Amino acid sequence: MAFNYDKYLRLEKMPTLWCWGCGDGVILKATIRAIDKMGWKQDDVCVVSGIGCSGRFSSYVDFNTVHTTHGRTVAYATGIKLANPDKHVICVAGDGDALAIGGNHTIHGCRRNIDINFIMINNFIYGLTNSQTSPTTPQGMWTVSQKAGNIDPTFDACKLAIAAGASFVGRETMLDPKKLERLLVKGFEHKGFSFFDVMSNCHINLGRKNKMQSAMENLDWIDSITTPLSKYEKLTPEEQLNMFPTGVLKQDTEAREYCDMYQEIKDVHQGKRKVITQDDFEKKI
Amino acid sequence: MAIREIISTGNNLSAIAAVDAGCEFFGGYPLTPSSEVMHTISDLLPKVGGVAIQMEDEIAGICCVIGAAMSGKRALTATSGPGMSLKAENLGLAQMAETPLVCVNVMRGGPSTGLPTRVSQGDVLQAKNPSHGDYKSITLCAGSLAECYTEVVRAFNLADRFMQPVIVLTDETLGHMHGKAELPTLEEVKAGIVPRKKFEGVPEEYFPYECEGDQPAVLNPMFEGYRYHFTGLHHDKNGFPTEEINTCRDLIQRLEDKVELHRDELELNEEFMCDDLGENDVLIIAYGSVSLAAKEAIRHLRKDGIKAGLFRPITLWPSPAERIKHFTDKIKNVLCVELNIKQYTAEIERVSSRLDLEGLYKVNGRAISPHEIVAKVKEVF
Amino acid sequence: MSLMKAPENTQVWVNTSRCKACDICVSVCPAGVLSMKAEPTSTLGAMIEIIAIDSCIGCNDCELNCPDFAIYVADKKADNVKFAKLTDEAKARAAAIVENNYRLPENYGK
Repeated sequence: MAFNYDKYLRLEKMPTLWCWGCGDGVILKATIRAIDKMGWKQDDVCVVSGIGCSGRFSSYVDFNTVHTTHGRTVAYATGIKLANPDKHVICVAGDGDALAIGGNHTIHGCRRNIDINFIMINNFIYGLTNSQTSPTTPQGMWTVSQKAGNIDPTFDACKLAIAAGASFVGRETMLDPKKLERLLVKGFEHKGFSFFDVMSNCHINLGRKNKMQSAMENLDWIDSITTPLSKYEKLTPEEQLNMFPTGVLKQDTEAREYCDMYQEIKDVHQGKRKVITQDDFEKKI
Repeated sequence: MAIREIISTGNNLSAIAAVDAGCEFFGGYPLTPSSEVMHTISDLLPKVGGVAIQMEDEIAGICCVIGAAMSGKRALTATSGPGMSLKAENLGLAQMAETPLVCVNVMRGGPSTGLPTRVSQGDVLQAKNPSHGDYKSITLCAGSLAECYTEVVRAFNLADRFMQPVIVLTDETLGHMHGKAELPTLEEVKAGIVPRKKFEGVPEEYFPYECEGDQPAVLNPMFEGYRYHFTGLHHDKNGFPTEEINTCRDLIQRLEDKVELHRDELELNEEFMCDDLGENDVLIIAYGSVSLAAKEAIRHLRKDGIKAGLFRPITLWPSPAERIKHFTDKIKNVLCVELNIKQYTAEIERVSSRLDLEGLYKVNGRAISPHEIVAKVKEVF
Repeated sequence: MSLMKAPENTQVWVNTSRCKACDICVSVCPAGVLSMKAEPTSTLGAMIEIIAIDSCIGCNDCELNCPDFAIYVADKKADNVKFAKLTDEAKARAAAIVENNYRLPENYGK
């Protein structure tokens, strides 16, 4: 295939600072291919990343890039998108960035259904800072902040995003980069908040004391806990307890996007339409 | 200056000022006593094609403003003490990334939840260093209804000139005070807008953070062909993270020097009835809404045969050190009046090298009346 | 889609300055084209090596799964290159490499 990534990279920053075999690089490539497929001009794209290994994503790509404070990608992106509604905004955050400190902003980004593409790189740990527990670290695994074993329950980020109102929710892993690319393209095409739970390996931090020291062992583990949605629906509840469905988990093309709705507010104040009332909405609660 | 009269509250005037000054984005969260800024601007901005959004919390409020400002828009947020505390981390990122924005703090009783509906000037020290690390804050303080408007306008121009957040302190008294303000005309305000500098050359030769040691970064708006990186990490001329020893040192020193070496552009004071003050007369130093009482007190004192004058800093940070010292060297009897415990007095002591200043401090959420100031002057001098 | 031009008559090529010796490409190659070799000057003491380029079937798995932009496969249409079919011999070699910690065993095939 020999895809030319160079056009989209800040070549002077190569090689990346990610560990050998880190999924971040695979996801970066898939994202670049997806952007290329969309035909977006580089000047029209803004990538906003958080803090963590995934946060370094934005410095490697040649777009308008912002490296924010921990957990706040959606808040920054909301400002950028609302101020420039015809541009394309992509957030990249880790599981801790998106679900712990950034949980509130992620929830409200989903609720507003603003047209932002939110890629959560979920490696089940705080990687950059060396193995602290994250909201997705499985119970019982060893972490540096819970060496006696992690007791914190996890939540399913996709279920959270769906409940919060995101109109496109999907999950893939970096085991199949082509599938990931196709999911990203679907989400980029979708108008509304597109939430991607992208499972990745961190064999250096998560895997190191949890029997997954090599990238391949970590990838095998991710393989063992994921299955396509169609297969997932046929499992028993006991089997579903330890499986994540992958693919497009929700796509609502009828949901109204926030920037479009804000245009209505502009129209009200500019005398182009009457005041917005409950009659403008199907959902009245 | 031609006069335009508007009868309104301080909060409303701040909102109107922002829109007149070219603000296109507001992000915030309701917080007494600043909420009316948001209420008013949420009607004014969409009318002119701008955006005003109530976010889910104070932090999201400042973050979306920084995002919009990074993309090139003039952006505003408004809050009070507790909100400033929450915004601190991201104000620091805006300092580091050199993002211009205006943050209005309508001060209320603190600390913590304090007195939500009552006045104080308790956030003055916080405004000097809301966030961790080394940088120089620019903080203006409105001392009248009209200044709730004019200081916001000045703040936007200063933010673009110095490429960093500018804090405008008002307080609950001014924010909710309803009266007549004599303002410059809209034409004058528009004519006075000085937008941020832009690089006009080819993108290959654009290095946003490469500048002289006393100059701010030149940051072009996003989406116009100049692609670069914003980060809160120490960064090089492209905006990319670095730990290189000299680059890091030069960056922090430049954040300091771009303000410190151009204090003359920031300094603004009012010297009320100070021209005829001699060594044994009385100098009052006050700012914000307290200065209204101080001026009234000075009129009473002069009727009673006591020559008094008011030195009022309008730009609080960086402080007008030389001008303060000019007066404190000359006049023996100095009374500092604040609605906090010595927050700005400490700075006056520092720049004057005097520890014998008298003070009138009130922290019970009520305004200081002219009578209290008159009584204090008569008591101590 | 923008493509890189493959070197003349080359099915797969590597940029060793970017390779971090993570073993992933070797583990996913179905045809035993790739192996790690000892390289004392690199951080992990190893480097990618193309050992059987004519067995390359052009599946792209190595390029897709490499996190570091270090390996590229020629394009079936754009570059004028012939790819092989997957043989049992190639599959066996691939299995042996994976078995042997992603390195071609010393005396393999001799």
